[in-house]
Amino acid sequence: MGALTRAVRNISRRKMRAFLVVIALGFSLAIMISLPPGILANQESTQNLTTNYDNTVNQMEQRLTLIMCVNGSSSNTTSQFPFPYGGRGGYGGGYGRFGGFGSQENYMDETVAGTIDSISGVEAVVPILDVPEGVTTQTFTGFGGRTFTFNVSAYTIEGVPLNSSLVADDYVPLPTNITQGRDLQTGDTEVAVLSLNNTGYFGVGVGGEVNINGTNFQVVGVHGESGSSAYALGQAADVRTLFMNISDAQAVSGLTGEISAINVYADNSSDVSNVAQEISNEFPTFSVTTEESELQTIENLYNSTMTTNEAAVSQTQTVAFEEIIVAVVATSLIVLFVMLYTVRERTKEIGTLKAIGFSNWNVMSQFILEGILLSLAAGIVAIMIGSIGAPTLSALLLPHIANPFSPSGGRFGGGGFVVRTGGAGTPGADIATAVATATPTPQLMLIALVAAVGLGAVGSLYPAWRASRTRPAEAMRYE
Amino acid sequence: MSETVLKAENLSKTYMMGKREVHALSDLNLQVNRGEFVAVMGPSGSGKTTLLNVLGCIDRPTGGKVILDEVDVAKLPEKELYKIRRNKIGFVFQTFNLLPYLNASENVELPMENTRKSGTERKRKARELLKVVGLSGREEHRPQRLSAGEQQRVAIARALANDPAIVLADEPTGNLDTQNKYEIVRLLANLNIERGTTVVAVTHDSQVASHTERVLFLKDGKITKEKQGLHLTKKKLMCPYCGSKIQPNDERCPSCRKRL
Repeated sequence: MGALTRAVRNISRRKMRAFLVVIALGFSLAIMISLPPGILANQESTQNLTTNYDNTVNQMEQRLTLIMCVNGSSSNTTSQFPFPYGGRGGYGGGYGRFGGFGSQENYMDETVAGTIDSISGVEAVVPILDVPEGVTTQTFTGFGGRTFTFNVSAYTIEGVPLNSSLVADDYVPLPTNITQGRDLQTGDTEVAVLSLNNTGYFGVGVGGEVNINGTNFQVVGVHGESGSSAYALGQAADVRTLFMNISDAQAVSGLTGEISAINVYADNSSDVSNVAQEISNEFPTFSVTTEESELQTIENLYNSTMTTNEAAVSQTQTVAFEEIIVAVVATSLIVLFVMLYTVRERTKEIGTLKAIGFSNWNVMSQFILEGILLSLAAGIVAIMIGSIGAPTLSALLLPHIANPFSPSGGRFGGGGFVVRTGGAGTPGADIATAVATATPTPQLMLIALVAAVGLGAVGSLYPAWRASRTRPAEAMRYE
Repeated sequence: MSETVLKAENLSKTYMMGKREVHALSDLNLQVNRGEFVAVMGPSGSGKTTLLNVLGCIDRPTGGKVILDEVDVAKLPEKELYKIRRNKIGFVFQTFNLLPYLNASENVELPMENTRKSGTERKRKARELLKVVGLSGREEHRPQRLSAGEQQRVAIARALANDPAIVLADEPTGNLDTQNKYEIVRLLANLNIERGTTVVAVTHDSQVASHTERVLFLKDGKITKEKQGLHLTKKKLMCPYCGSKIQPNDERCPSCRKRL
């Protein structure tokens, strides 16, 4: 029968006390092992957010390298409001190039595209031909009996280049919300993608044919009200737009060699203003519009959000570190006080042991062993608590970081912006979810056991030393 | 000439009670021979327990020498003293001081724990000693399940665990009823006769003291008187009252029927 047996017997002698001490220690140690996974989950989650942000903003920057060019002054051609009939208010939003109220397109020669393409800093040039079709004159009587007359188009042909590299790089403004059939593809000719509204107008669906100015187009797809891939800010596509190859559009509208607008993409966002200036210089009559202000807004939001996130993660780490320190100190103190009490309670026993020939070290090791056993039991309890309760403990003890992508709390949600992350982006990981999945790893559990033994030894060191220094004659008198 | 196992020379022990000095032992001289059964008697506060503590190396004297088996233990450092306590001295306490979470056998094994004896040897020795003190079959019983007299027997077995040079008993019958008191005294006396164990017992009970070989009277930290006890004749297997022949285990004299 050695010191270990005596230690076990002594602990089990007072079962309720041992149970309470082990539970208290177990919770302290559980905090220690529950917070690191929480922090790691937070870091991972924030890393995901950063990656997401980077992907999104890069994509947005790519979109925002867009310079839209139309022939004529903007006052002539700009509609500030999306308009359901005719024009491209839906796509253009604040930058619509086509007058909604029957304003006249100023077509330009398609060779302009080649000239712009040669400007330094230009990544891609996308000529577009918009042709309003089925124009009718409508009269509207307003207040006071005043009569307004204006032209309304039944649908708009959107001719886009189906050049392989432009399509592959997603520069071509194709509809994104295909509800039936397919989208336009590289090299498509004499095929069309209709809007839902068009299908009603023409009375055909996918697989049918529409006749436009004497030419039959096979309907390969139908698009809903959606953003176009080239317009990242997500304005709704015109519900009456019919998409086709630009060469087909030129042919059916009798505008061979003509285009109505050019989307120019700069190499990067820093080139946008230079390229826009060059275009304006080269073609003084052009209305050249950029989206620099949006880019700036998004960059500002990105920067401030990332700063906030980094600060929040840093704060999380600091808080977690402090809580772990508190848990470590609490564990040591619990062991210290319990062992001090035990030593005091067993003074006479210590005196007896010394009187019958136990050395100081024998006595000291006995109490250290008891402290270690208590902590070891607590370590096992901590692993059990940590395995089950780590997510709860982490959620309770770690500061919550708002997910900028979440609709309610996010900086891009609910309010002004709708960010389309595109193909490369994945939804931002929700930090609350990430914390909820945080569980201690086997390595962490092993560390917890080692820490338990260490803290048990440290906590019982002083009481054990005091016990070993007890003078037997005095201890014998102790009642 | 008998061999001296324990000798105290000019022993003194002074306590400080606040600013006042209390002389618990004062220039005390004492000699105990191997195989003797000695009682130290005295009134309360005469220094009996202090003397036993100093002789047993669990307290240090303020002055003088304590020579145990030819070693002056008064000057030894603590790291040597525990070995003396373990190997040379056996303690029996008034309140038994058994560890409640160990059974009788384990309590007896305790002093042997840090010796070179193997676990099996320790167990065998513990059983043997428990048999000597009359507790055969009670090895697995914890102190709570033993009577006071039985607990003191376990304590005596524990004191004998390492075959000490001397057994120091502090009021060994102080917590016992009359029946158990005589049984414990007889046990100590028999151990003294049969095993040659040297015993120094502190007591304030004159009847207990009279059953030892030599009684030392302590007063104010000094030995003031010494007298012979009944045990001397008993050792010669003679009734101390009528001189008839007796056996070591006789509780009463077969002739005069007096309690031995």
